[in-house]
This record gives sequence, structure tokens and C-alpha cells, in this order.
Amino acid sequence: MRVATKTMYDLIRFNLAHITDDMNQANKVVATGKRINDLSDDPVGMANALEIKSNIANINQVSRNINMGKSWLIASEGALTNVQDMLSDTRALCVEMRTTTKSPADREAAAVNIQNVKEEIIALANTQVSGLYLFAGTNTEVPPFEVDGTYNGNNSPFAIKTANDTVMQIGADGEAVFGDILTSLDDLIVHLQNNDVDGIGASIAIMEGHFSDITANISAIGSKTNRMEIKENILSELTISNTEQLSRIEDADIAEAVMNLKSVELAYQAALASSSSIMELSLMDYLK
Amino acid sequence: MSGIGVVWDIAKDALSTSRFGIDVTGHNIANVNTAGYSRQSTVQEAKHPMFFNGLQLGRGVTTSQVVRETDQFIENRLMQQGSNLAYSTEMENYIHILEGVFNENSDASVSSLLNQYWSLWHDVANNPLGASERIALYELSSLISERFQYLDGEMRQLKTDLSNVLGPAINRINQITNEIANLNNEIVGLESNNVANDLRDKRNILVSELSQYIDTNSFEQDNGSLTIVSARGCVLVHSNTSYSISLGGANGDRVEWSSSAGSKIDMTDYITNGKLGGWLDVRDEVLEKYSLDLDSMTREFIWATNQQHSQGVGLEAFNGVTASYAAASATDAMGTAASGLTFFDKIQDGNFQLWVYDSNGDVVTPGGDTITIDADTTRLTDVAAQIGAADANITAAVIDGRLEISAANGYTFAFGGDNSNTLAALGINTFFEGSTAGGMDVCDAIRDNFNLIAAGRIDATGVFATGDNANAVAITDLQFATMDIPNWSCDRIDGNTPGSITASVGDYYRAFVGSLGTISESLTRERAFDEVSASKIGEIRDSLSAVSLDEEMTNLMKFQHAYTAAAKLITTADEMLATLLELK
Repeated sequence: MRVATKTMYDLIRFNLAHITDDMNQANKVVATGKRINDLSDDPVGMANALEIKSNIANINQVSRNINMGKSWLIASEGALTNVQDMLSDTRALCVEMRTTTKSPADREAAAVNIQNVKEEIIALANTQVSGLYLFAGTNTEVPPFEVDGTYNGNNSPFAIKTANDTVMQIGADGEAVFGDILTSLDDLIVHLQNNDVDGIGASIAIMEGHFSDITANISAIGSKTNRMEIKENILSELTISNTEQLSRIEDADIAEAVMNLKSVELAYQAALASSSSIMELSLMDYLK
Repeated sequence: MSGIGVVWDIAKDALSTSRFGIDVTGHNIANVNTAGYSRQSTVQEAKHPMFFNGLQLGRGVTTSQVVRETDQFIENRLMQQGSNLAYSTEMENYIHILEGVFNENSDASVSSLLNQYWSLWHDVANNPLGASERIALYELSSLISERFQYLDGEMRQLKTDLSNVLGPAINRINQITNEIANLNNEIVGLESNNVANDLRDKRNILVSELSQYIDTNSFEQDNGSLTIVSARGCVLVHSNTSYSISLGGANGDRVEWSSSAGSKIDMTDYITNGKLGGWLDVRDEVLEKYSLDLDSMTREFIWATNQQHSQGVGLEAFNGVTASYAAASATDAMGTAASGLTFFDKIQDGNFQLWVYDSNGDVVTPGGDTITIDADTTRLTDVAAQIGAADANITAAVIDGRLEISAANGYTFAFGGDNSNTLAALGINTFFEGSTAGGMDVCDAIRDNFNLIAAGRIDATGVFATGDNANAVAITDLQFATMDIPNWSCDRIDGNTPGSITASVGDYYRAFVGSLGTISESLTRERAFDEVSASKIGEIRDSLSAVSLDEEMTNLMKFQHAYTAAAKLITTADEMLATLLELK
């Protein structure tokens, strides 16, 4: 084929421009460490990466929720364990006060004791985590129990999301948990004050009933905490696997990227060398 | 008769022929870098012989014509490819700009903001009483609104830019067609006996430039003039007349062709090649689609949030509220387009509860007042009347198409259980206002009072707890809720058609940027392909028509030697004559 002077220069220009573009791309990959720098670099990969990022963001959020849930559950468990101890003590006191050796004065004194227990249980029922009351249903702003045992909360326990489709109760309806206990304690106080040995005797079984209710509550909370911990582990594994996948999609293999840059660089040098030597050639150099 | 005079004549012709050769070679060398120049050469032929004594004696050489080495077919292919390349280059440039607007590799990208948005609703759900959570949610929501406004603004700006570049391009097109018509005239005049080489080159260059701008289809008439037809059969040049195109239409952004009689034809949608084709494709198809898609997504996103938000209650009840969506007609049924409500199509038969609280915060009517909606008959004025009649302490009116509800001093009110979507469609107890990417914002009511962010719900007796998070939890569920979102396809001739994708907002947006990336990627490939084929055809054209300096130098030597030899002929004739004259 006949090669015009213009063709030679055009080709040099065209090729150098292309290699410069390749070099620019290769350099961008090395400089950013990312394989995808623009949407068009890999649209499918980019869409995947965005989805994984969204997953990671969601996992992080759910982990935060679970952390918060755990702090509530641990606080509830602590409060309920204390209540459990008090109920056990109360039962022991009932057993003691039922015996005929105890005088009415002893029972009168015990009544004061139980009054203290009741106040302590109310204090525990008003347990707060970061300013919110655990046992107030969703009325978390106000103390659920007044000194006389009146309930100010509501009956829908506070719940949070612990997975995309799971809502878990982390608070409690204080009335359901403590209402009967407080009434029973009031009854016991009256029995003690009235020196009603039969009533005191009956209270033993009632206290045992409450004790097992609280125990059931504690174990329910324990199993929730457990579930949350398992979920937390799963989530942290998911975070790792998602992050790995994201890196596989997004990040450049640096060794490969550098090799790539080097080979483009070499091609560029070769093109420059051959172009400049071609440009020097002309028939005119040989004409006198 | 043969004599020394013949030698003189032959020598003279040989000299001038060689000089012509050198002239033409010089012309070629001078134009080595001239774009579109076709190399020329002289055609030499032996002169008609002369009979002398029964012998045929040659009479030397003559230059019969100067021809240009060109192949109009290849020139036409090159123009076509140049036109394609101009189209894909312009498309690629503008799509790259658009791609930059939707840059997703940053924390301020829309998908990252959407992730944060849902996260912040989780935070509000975790601590409905927390002021900082509410502030953070408001701030991010305004940021999302601003981001959507920015995206919309950028796309509008790009559209405007594209309409603006049309003007100068059209001026240039008119200039070119005018010059071609003039050249047609000159060529027809000159070619009565010769081929107008350089003028034809010049015309080719102009046609080639023209095809970089717009569709061209050209054919040569017998007399050498060129007729050029563009998109939709509009003739741009015929003989020595050019027909101009101009911007017209309601917004001055349509390309119109004017006939000699002055009538106009809108050729905009038929221009598919050259820069104009690229610009119009980006403006009326690509940007149109992505604008509509973004608007559709924003609309569903706003609606989903508002619809759920309107079911809930904040930390306090309202003492007055103004709807954010206005009805063009308050006396047409709300569920019909005639009402002019932005979300009229979402309204359905059903009802909602209105609860009124006295100054102690106690519910006035524990069961609440039920407001009943029939999508096909209930008018906005009916809703106002129903609300006004429900409770003596509440007044409702329609002012400038917006429902305004207010409570008597000390009284407050709240809503719940809306299964008719009326509250969300009117923009009462909603979170966002607007329905397009450009018009989106957080409701003024929320901006002025974060306590109105409705994280909780009212129970059946009208009581609500400030620590309740049921509604906020329901809003976090929307992150993965799928909805039908239109997915537009835009064609300049077929118009815009809304398809539909069932997806969550996040998925839709990811598909949106994915498709943008795919278009950009395939355009880059198309442009690279066009570039290579244009360069290949260019090479073929140059191999035929362009100047090779080595070749011209050889020709120069050739003609120079011929010139020297012809001069020698004269010397010889001179010496012969002198010999004769010196005879004594």
C-alpha cells in the first residue's frame, strides 16, 4: 500500500494517544488502589459493590441495635436477679414468722422489713438505662412506679429491630412483672401487722410462685441475650465476608496493576523510540 | 516540413511540460499538511504526429490536464464515518459528565446517604425520646433532599447546555451550506472545459465538516453541482441555493428547516448523526430518561416515608397544621386527577382517626373521631367539613388549595389509623414535601419542630407514649420494602414510556447507576470502534489521495532532469543553427 507522509504522522499521533490513555488508566488503578474508579469501569461490579456497601451499613446498624438491646437486657437481668434474692429472703422471713415462737412484736418489726423490701423492689422496677426506664412499657420517660406502687407505664414493652424482619422486646411491661408482687407484699405486710399466722403461711406459697415467675423471666432474658450474642457473632462474620467480597470487587490487585502499568510504560517507550526514528527518515537527507 | 524550428518547438513544449510538472509537484509539497487535499498530477501525452515525406514524425509532448487522485466513494465513506465518530464522541463526552454527577465513590453519594437515612431511623427507633437522634435524622434528610435537588439541577443544566450548543452549531451549518452553494456555482462555471480540482477538494472538506454536525446525504448532479439532503428529507443545498435551519419551537430548543417559501419543518427528532445527533440523543433520550427515573424514584421514596409517617405521632400533638400538598380544585373528588393533588392516585376508600386532647393532655373522645373517605366522591372541602364537625374545638378550612386544621387555645390534636392514604396525600403529618427530585425537602413542620417526627403510635383509646417507637420501626422496614417504580424508556420519535420495576428504593437506585455506567461503557466502546474505523478509512483515503514527500521529491528530480534535458535540446538546436549560419 502507498503510504502518504500524512498517514505516518497520523498513525504516530493515534497510537501515542491510545497508549497515553492506557497509561492514564493503568496509573489511576495503581494510584487509587481501586479497580473501579468510574461507573463505566465495571457497571455490574459497581452495582454489586454498592449493594454490598448497603449490606455492610445495615449490618453495622443492626449491630448497634443489638448492642443497645444487650445493655437493656443485662440491666433488666441485674434488676430481676436482685428482686429474686429479695423474694427468696421474703419467703425465708415468712417461714420464720410463721413459727409460734415469734411474738407479735417480732412480726410487727418484720412488717417494716417487708415495707423496705417493697420500696427496694420499686426502686429496682424503676431501673434506667441511659435515662430510659426499662419496666415502663413504651412510657420510658417517666418512672413506672410511684412510692405507693401505682403503675404509670403502659402495657406494650419497648422493642427494637434486631434483624431486617425481627423486632425483639428489650423492655418490659412493669405492671405484668411487678404488679402482683407488690400487691402480695402489701398483703404480707397486713398479715404481719395483724399477726395473721395463717396469712403469713399462705404467703410462702405465693412468694414461691413469684420467685418462679421472676426466674422464668430471667431465663427468658438470658435466652434473648444469648440469641443476641449469637446474632452478633453472625453479624461480625458477615461483616468480614462482605468486606472481603467488596474488596474482591473493588480493590485492585496491586501486583497485577503495577505489572500492567509497567507493560504499558514499556509499550509507550517503544512507540516513542520507533516514532522518533521514523520521523527522522526522509529522502531529502540523501538528495544533494 | 521538418526543420530546426521543429526541434525548437519540441524543446519549448518539453520545457513547459516539465515546468508544469514541477509546478504541480510544488503544489503537492506545499499542501502536504492540508486537510482533505488530494494530490494532483499532470497528464502528459505525445502531441499529434506530423507527416513528412511519408514519415510520421513526433512533435513532442503536451500537458493535457491536471488531475486529482481521489475516489469519491471512499470520500463519502470517510464522511459517514466522521459523522458517526462525531456523534459517539459527543455522546461519550456528555455521558461522562453525567457519570461524574452520579459519582458513587464517595461518602456523599446517594446510595451512601440512603444507607445513613435508614440507619438514622433505627437510631430514632432505639431512642425515640432522644433529641440528638431526631436532629441527626432531620439534618441527613435535608442533605438527601439537597443531594437530589443537586442531581436534578445538574441534569437540567446539562440539558440547557446542550440546547445552548445547538445555536452556534446551526450557525456554522448555515455558513457551510451557503459556502457549498457558492462553490457549486463556481464549479459549474469552471468545469465547462476543465475539472476544478482544488474547488472540489474545498467542497469535499466543507461537506465533511457538515457531516460532522448533522446527517448528510449528498449526490452530484451531471453539471458537477452537489445536492445535500439532511434528516427528514430536508434539502440543505441544491445547485447554487442553500436552505437554512434555525432554532424554533416553544422553548427555542427545536431544530427547524425553512423552505424557500418560508414554511418550517421540525426535523429535531430525525437528526441521528453528527454532533447534533449526539447532543439531541443525550438531551432528549438519555437525560430525559434519567431525569424521569430519578423523579419516579424520589416520588416513591417520599411517598413510602410519608405514608408510614402519617400513621404515627410525635412527642407532642399538633395545635395547628397546614397541608404541604395543594389541590388545584378543592371541589373535585380527591382521588381523581381533577383535584390536582400530587398523590391523588394513592388515595383509596377508607378512613382515619382524629383525636383531640384538652389542655391537660387528656383525650376528649376516647374512641376518636372517624373521618371517612371515598376516593371517587370525597372532596377536600368535605374533609374540612368532616373534621370541623367532628369536634367543637377543632376548625378546618381549605386555604389556597391546602387543608388547614387548627385547635382552640390549649387543645391539641393528632391522627392515626389512616387506611385511605388521605393524610399522606394531603401532606399532613408527613416527613418530606414535594414529589420530584428537584422539589424534595423536609416538611416545614418537621424543620420547625423535631418533636413532630412521628416515631410512636396512638393506641385505640387515643393515648400515646412518648417512648413508643412502633412507627419508627415500621419506617425502618421500608428500607427493604419493594414497590412498583416506573422505569422510563425515552425515544425521540416514539416518545416516553414508563415501564415498571418492582424493587426497593436502594435496589432501584443501584440499577439506575448501573445502567448509567453500562451506557457510558458501551459508548466508550462505540467511540473507540468509530475512531478505529474512521482512522482505517482515512488511511485508505490518504493512501490514494494524500501527499507522500518521498514521492514528490522523486517527481521533482524526475521533472528537473527532464527540464535539464529539454534545455540541452535547445542548446543542441542552437548549435545546429549556428553551424548552418556559419557556412560560408
